[in-house]
Amino acid sequence: MLQIRDASVTFPASDGSAVHALDHVSLDIAPDSIVVAVGASGCGKSTLLNAIAGFLPLTEGSITLDGEEIDRPGGDRGVVFQKDTLLPWASVVDNVALGLKFAGISRTVRRERARELLDLVGLVDFADKPPYELSGGMRQRVGLARALATDPKILLMDEPFGALDSLTRETMQQLLASVWARTGKQVLFITHSIEEALTLGTTVVVMSPRPGRIVARFKAGFVREFAETGDIGPILSNPHFIELREEIRALIHRPAGKGTLQ
Amino acid sequence: MTLAADPRAVFTHVQPAARRPPANRASKTVSSGTLLISTITLLALLALWFVATQLGWATPLFLPSPAEVLTQFQAVALDGYADGTLLQHTLASLGRILVALGIGVVLGVPIGLLMGLNRWVRGTLSVPIGLYWGLPPLAYLPLLIIWLGIGESSKIVLLSLSTFAPICFSAQAGVRSVPVERINAALSLGATRLQLFTNIILPSALPEILTGLRIAVAAGLSCLVAAELIAARSGLGYMIMSAANFLSTDVVFVGLILIAVLAFLFAIGMRWLERKLVPWKGKI
Repeated sequence: MLQIRDASVTFPASDGSAVHALDHVSLDIAPDSIVVAVGASGCGKSTLLNAIAGFLPLTEGSITLDGEEIDRPGGDRGVVFQKDTLLPWASVVDNVALGLKFAGISRTVRRERARELLDLVGLVDFADKPPYELSGGMRQRVGLARALATDPKILLMDEPFGALDSLTRETMQQLLASVWARTGKQVLFITHSIEEALTLGTTVVVMSPRPGRIVARFKAGFVREFAETGDIGPILSNPHFIELREEIRALIHRPAGKGTLQ
Repeated sequence: MTLAADPRAVFTHVQPAARRPPANRASKTVSSGTLLISTITLLALLALWFVATQLGWATPLFLPSPAEVLTQFQAVALDGYADGTLLQHTLASLGRILVALGIGVVLGVPIGLLMGLNRWVRGTLSVPIGLYWGLPPLAYLPLLIIWLGIGESSKIVLLSLSTFAPICFSAQAGVRSVPVERINAALSLGATRLQLFTNIILPSALPEILTGLRIAVAAGLSCLVAAELIAARSGLGYMIMSAANFLSTDVVFVGLILIAVLAFLFAIGMRWLERKLVPWKGKI
């Protein structure tokens, strides 16, 4: 269980004023749930993820994972980045095994485990290739396998499919849904796509900028259906899905009392 | 034929990257085409040299014929010139530059890495290194000769200074250029500080270090010959200077050609080293 209590992050702006990137945000991420944070640029969703990952200190508040305070990056939180961060000098399988290498696990054992994960993301045939011979979507799958390899308590995904074309993106969403259904990991997923948020989230939190805070929370259950059928079509045309989508769109485009985004 | 005119060439560009990268094939054909042009240019220059001496455009004192240079090459190689055979002079020069490169790498890489990692080390060392690196090496050679004498040590120190700075600065730049996401990714995979250094920072800095080594080779070679021209008892530079004193232009040519060949071999060696150590360079 990840618990965020009154988390605030304040940066000094170039003109000397303070930027409230994150303003008293409280959020729980329960086991077996995918929480998706959606919002326009600058709403603090990436700041939230970076704070949970331990890349960024909180100005106020606290984040705990299973009761332990988070103050630095660690192997208990697996991160999938938007930009691929694979090591070009290591083969795909060694990239996936990197976290296990850091944990001091022997080469044979960690490669075996990495191959299992590559099988999970459908890339076992590419195990011995260097990452630069893979396409963008494949590299993100390797990134997902790498984050899963250390068996983290939570997966943090920072717009991982944002740079992919829409067809690859759909395949990746399917993959994530089925991986989640099989592993039952708790996931925090950041996106600026409302449809992606509703397709993947068991909970969708809508964030608004200046100051970055959560303005609404929705329960959504479409990801279970998606994981089972692998077909996004019926979900996208589900009346309940469309209703939620429009509600969130209205929220993002007209944040309460704080002026408009445009 | 341009690339776009060939439909197959266009097609290879849109193939999934999972195949062999098409850029590799394209660059291979391009480089072999360049090699052909370069070879033709070299042959044309040799022909021009031959014709110029054959037709007497310049006196042999200024421009000896290729045949004369070849004869001298044999003579110098077998009988020696200026207290040593060609091989001895070449080995003397080669030994100096290899020792200097060794010192430059052994000191420059760790000090540069430290400068990249720690701002105290960077702040302390960047000023003295930057100051001497800005000086033309031949300007402080006389000082080194006063301090260390005219023997090997003054030349080795001069060459080591000229190879150390570029290697050191490039190692520092290599550390500073590691993408922050790559470091964050490693930390969130549980890397300790030492693991972060050996598994992420060092290999990430390697391409820059090799670029520094390339600059060091060029700087070292130019310093080497210049130092040997001024103060030495052996080496290709010394041989050239001795020959010039007796107006033996053909021997000067022998020395120059050998230095050019040496520089060329170093360049090939560096390229081989880069392909071997950083095959991913420019790919991600």
